[in-house]
Amino acid sequence: MKTLMNALCTTALITGAALPAGAENLRMSWWGGETRHVATQAALTACGEKYGHQIAPEFTGFSGYLEKLTTQMAGSTEADIVQVNWPWLPLFSRDGTGFYDLQELDGVDLSSFAQTDLDSVTVAGHVQGIPMSTSGRVFFFNTTTLEAAGITPPTTWEEFFAAAKTLREKMGDDYQLFNAVAESAQLLVSLAVTQKTGKDLVDPETNRVAWSVEELAAGLEFYQRMVDSGAIASRKDEAAQGNVLLYEKQDWSQGRIAGSYEWDTTYFKFSDPLEDGQVLDSVPMIKFADAVTDGVYRKPSMLLSVSKNSDHPQAAAEILNCLVNEPEGIDALGITRGIPASSTALERLEAEDKIEPELMKAHQILMDADGPAVSPFNEHPELRGDFIDIMEEFSYGMIDAQDAAEAIIDSANNVLRSYD
Amino acid sequence: MKRSRLLGLAYLSPYLIGLMVFTMIPFAASFYLSFTDYNLMSSPRWTGLENYIELFFHDRTFRRSLSVTLLYVFLTVPLKLGFALFIAYILNYKLRFINLFRTAFYVPSILGGSIAIAVLWRYIFAYEGLVNMLLAYIGIEPINWFGDPTNALFTLTLLRMWQFGSAMVIFLAALQSIDKSLYEAAAIDGASKAHSFIFITIPLITPVIFFNLIMQMVQAFQEFNGPYIITQGGPLKSTYLLPLYIYDEAFKRFDMGYASAIAWVLFVIIMALTLVAFWSSKKWVFYAGDKRS
Repeated sequence: MKTLMNALCTTALITGAALPAGAENLRMSWWGGETRHVATQAALTACGEKYGHQIAPEFTGFSGYLEKLTTQMAGSTEADIVQVNWPWLPLFSRDGTGFYDLQELDGVDLSSFAQTDLDSVTVAGHVQGIPMSTSGRVFFFNTTTLEAAGITPPTTWEEFFAAAKTLREKMGDDYQLFNAVAESAQLLVSLAVTQKTGKDLVDPETNRVAWSVEELAAGLEFYQRMVDSGAIASRKDEAAQGNVLLYEKQDWSQGRIAGSYEWDTTYFKFSDPLEDGQVLDSVPMIKFADAVTDGVYRKPSMLLSVSKNSDHPQAAAEILNCLVNEPEGIDALGITRGIPASSTALERLEAEDKIEPELMKAHQILMDADGPAVSPFNEHPELRGDFIDIMEEFSYGMIDAQDAAEAIIDSANNVLRSYD
Repeated sequence: MKRSRLLGLAYLSPYLIGLMVFTMIPFAASFYLSFTDYNLMSSPRWTGLENYIELFFHDRTFRRSLSVTLLYVFLTVPLKLGFALFIAYILNYKLRFINLFRTAFYVPSILGGSIAIAVLWRYIFAYEGLVNMLLAYIGIEPINWFGDPTNALFTLTLLRMWQFGSAMVIFLAALQSIDKSLYEAAAIDGASKAHSFIFITIPLITPVIFFNLIMQMVQAFQEFNGPYIITQGGPLKSTYLLPLYIYDEAFKRFDMGYASAIAWVLFVIIMALTLVAFWSSKKWVFYAGDKRS
């Protein structure tokens, strides 16, 4: 026992001696790809050295991250700094107490963020994290394919349907103008309804679905028109491919699928697989002639939060600020979490020419478009899952648009009701 | 003696601790949680039989998922056992390169449950995949394997059948243990190959058939990788097996209480069918030294 105590005391002394006074051991968890992992570790090293803290990285891919974070939060074992997907805020912080209120911590400069960005991460008056970037859905078109068919990228939905017809006539039936599967298809329906009504899916005042059955049914019929006109593949034909991701499809890389509605930050994910000579371009929002808004689906992509269970929240806040507002963090992170929401970071990266023009163009289109504020409930796993499932039944002709719209609204309201 | 007993317990302790921590405690916890509303973020709230009432009387998805699972098990298990026995019977002959064939037929079972094979299956049965190319070669129209609800489950059944190797090896061992003199005596009495198979081979390997039946049934009820990777439970929930539903409820909707209730229903079904199999085995499984005749 004596030996054990000696060993423990020695270990404690060595560990304590390794860190200077005021230095803390922290952890940070995030999801991402290889580029983000490498950049974030470099940023943590740089910021850690600056403030004398040691930060242990915990990183993984997106898949499984929510499950891991939820389990950690349930056991109060989450990292000091955690990356949180914006739509998960209602899951983790219903009343604004899920994470530290950054207004209460010294050292985080919130003045470099637009008020609208801060509003989107504020729950019941508590700022629950730093918005890293804004992302949203934009239209990408393979302009090489369009040019071969003598088409210009459509600006209205009527032009879109005309372009779909021309493309098939000139290039053959194995060409389709656009891609829309599962989540993308659901977001296209949402886009159509929002453009027509000017309303997001969820009314923030009542916390219920803002659309009427008729409005949503019209959106579903719009989707069906896309299928019937051959602009997109039917759900059944998509399933026949074995649910392969768009950018893994040969039809995409060879230009036989000529467009999609994707996150602006994913431009290179979709342009890289294209065969040599094919060009992907982002284009302004396609609209109805009588649209009341562009209906852009734009939201904070993710936030970095300080765990409410952190033993060293002040140290975590210092690192957080370094990552988003200070040269060490900004230079190391670059655009690995999208075009930065921090004006300080954006100015620095632009001045150093570190943002690819294709990404900047897609991002600018996103920021220029208008639309109602998007509720995080749009991406609630149960709400979205039911929306997509019911759309599938509609796509297979099991139910008509009216019944599908009713079912979607009922299901969504059930989810929303549980948050009253 | 006392020291050796302690040593024995010490050797056993890693297993016993693992069994307690990773099996028995979660097993008991899931039973308790099945009577609660628990979303991981707050403490479990006791709700009594609410989850089970919802499951049995209101949940359309559960009914759909349960029927798909039962259909999958009742399709897969006999087909896989039949196919495994058929191949084992062939591989029991003394052919040239027989060891090579035995290895080759066993390989799919090593790879079968992996994600990579599920991805491969997706490409083989895609609309423009290998199977439809071969069908086109003999003049048959391409089939929508994954997009048609009636075909999708069958495609997953084939994936499971393809992993027949472990059952085949057990059958092969059983076939090799049958006394050859029985076949010789039957041949002298004029029995055909088919008669020998039905009246000698099958009765003598019934314990192995029984073992394989139980193992394959339990595994089929727990199938997850295939439908998760290939069809994601679709189309129209036609491949939405219960393990997928449990996963979605637990880790996508964070309804741990409800997921636990589904898991317990699945457990009871497996247990009930296993007990039925054991009960019926008295009538059709014959062991060496059995007094029945």
